[in-house]
Amino acid sequence: MNSRIAVSSARRASQRLIQRTTPDETTTHFGFKTVPEAQKESLVRGVFSNVASNYDIMNDAMSMGIHRLWKDHLIRKMSPSPDAKLLDVAGGTGDIAQRFLEFQDQGEPGQRVDAWARAEKRFAASKWMREGRIGFTVGNAENLEFIDDASFDVYTIAFGIRNCTHPDRVVREAFRVLKPGGRFMCLEFSRVENPVLASLYDFHSFHVIPRLGELIANDRGSYEYLVESIRKFPPQKEFAQMIRDAGFTTIGKGYENLTFGTVAIHTGYKF
Amino acid sequence: MNSTLLRRVAARAPLRRLYTTPSNHNLEILDHALTKVNELGWTRASVIAACQDLGYSSMAHGVSESGGLGLVRHFMDRALDETTIEVDDQLHEFDSTNDKLRFICITRLRQTLPYANRWHEAAALLAQPQNVPTAIDQMGKLASRIWYLAGDQSVRLDWYAKRSALAAAYVATEMYMCEDKSPDHAHTWRFLNRRIEEMGKADKLSQGVAAYGTQFGRNLYNILASRGFVPHQ
Repeated sequence: MNSRIAVSSARRASQRLIQRTTPDETTTHFGFKTVPEAQKESLVRGVFSNVASNYDIMNDAMSMGIHRLWKDHLIRKMSPSPDAKLLDVAGGTGDIAQRFLEFQDQGEPGQRVDAWARAEKRFAASKWMREGRIGFTVGNAENLEFIDDASFDVYTIAFGIRNCTHPDRVVREAFRVLKPGGRFMCLEFSRVENPVLASLYDFHSFHVIPRLGELIANDRGSYEYLVESIRKFPPQKEFAQMIRDAGFTTIGKGYENLTFGTVAIHTGYKF
Repeated sequence: MNSTLLRRVAARAPLRRLYTTPSNHNLEILDHALTKVNELGWTRASVIAACQDLGYSSMAHGVSESGGLGLVRHFMDRALDETTIEVDDQLHEFDSTNDKLRFICITRLRQTLPYANRWHEAAALLAQPQNVPTAIDQMGKLASRIWYLAGDQSVRLDWYAKRSALAAAYVATEMYMCEDKSPDHAHTWRFLNRRIEEMGKADKLSQGVAAYGTQFGRNLYNILASRGFVPHQ
């Protein structure tokens, strides 16, 4: 019950924020709501601290377990070479970092991973932590000033960029920290293009997922934000253009749809 | 005759690359990776070695999709482009279509020669079930381009038959060439001659079958008509 109260008060707070918005302030979207740009970051943080305890269970419930396959596919597509060094942004669950290190361990022992969040607990006892092959930091993806230019081989951001206030700045920062020839990969929800499947998907998003959120995580509001934020994120082609605008080279159309476009993997190379 | 095609090939901008950003570093990596093939095979390792040689992060190996397959595809595209450019100013020396086909096939086969020791690996890669669409696509492009260069631009019912016959002849010769130890591959070129002659025979045969079919149908119609089953016109 406590968390429900917390959410409803958070919702009231966000409504207050909306009322306070004056026309000359820069605004951005937070789900289907419009909020001042400066507030988005703390609102997103609020959502994710609300859902943190049930995050993994909810991911499985919402995607019917398919999010694991998407992440597996991302790493297979990446095929990290033994000497590759990964920066995993928005890596709170450690899913990508773990798969990356497992892939590298199939060959000879590989390089280190820097992940961007609070998955430290999960890896605290792992051999990767002991070997110093994984490290964690908290920061803002739009401004990675504490990372040197051209210092990573791969940059991944899985289901994270949607929540950033300025995705274009995130992509530009990724371009900066990658080495020449480095690879940017983004796994993110996208648009289902087939109209029949799209209506099914909309039903799932707007009726099933908030209900699941209510039942499992006792938090409808956060999951409403989640599906709304997916609708607000630019579709495949627009985002691919954003990646090219940041200076990346794309091969072919620059993205691959998974599960009819529910999610897409965007790839860019820094040349 | 082929000036449009040639321009496109020479500009290194085939249609499928239309959406690629103007940078050609991916082609640079793939071209360099070809120099590693005899040592490391048609594999991701070749592409990684090329990236490192060129001073790129090893993760740029992703420009070759699905590891070795992307490299094989790049080689086949490139070899076909080179062939198109190479034969363009010599084709007028040949009269018959068969001679032209033979000349173009030989030019294309010579592109594979530097990799003869490793080519069976590429063939095995292309034969894997998940890669069959790529293989069919590549063979289709090859056969189409060769027929086109040889001056055949017809769009008739035998379009597919012609292309599959040529692709079969080409692939058989390529496999033969990789095992052929005769000086200057003389046996291979004789093998190719026989395949192309057979193609001509098969073509005549198919025409014969078609003529027989037409005649048979006409006879049947007449018999039925004489019995009153079909109205006389």
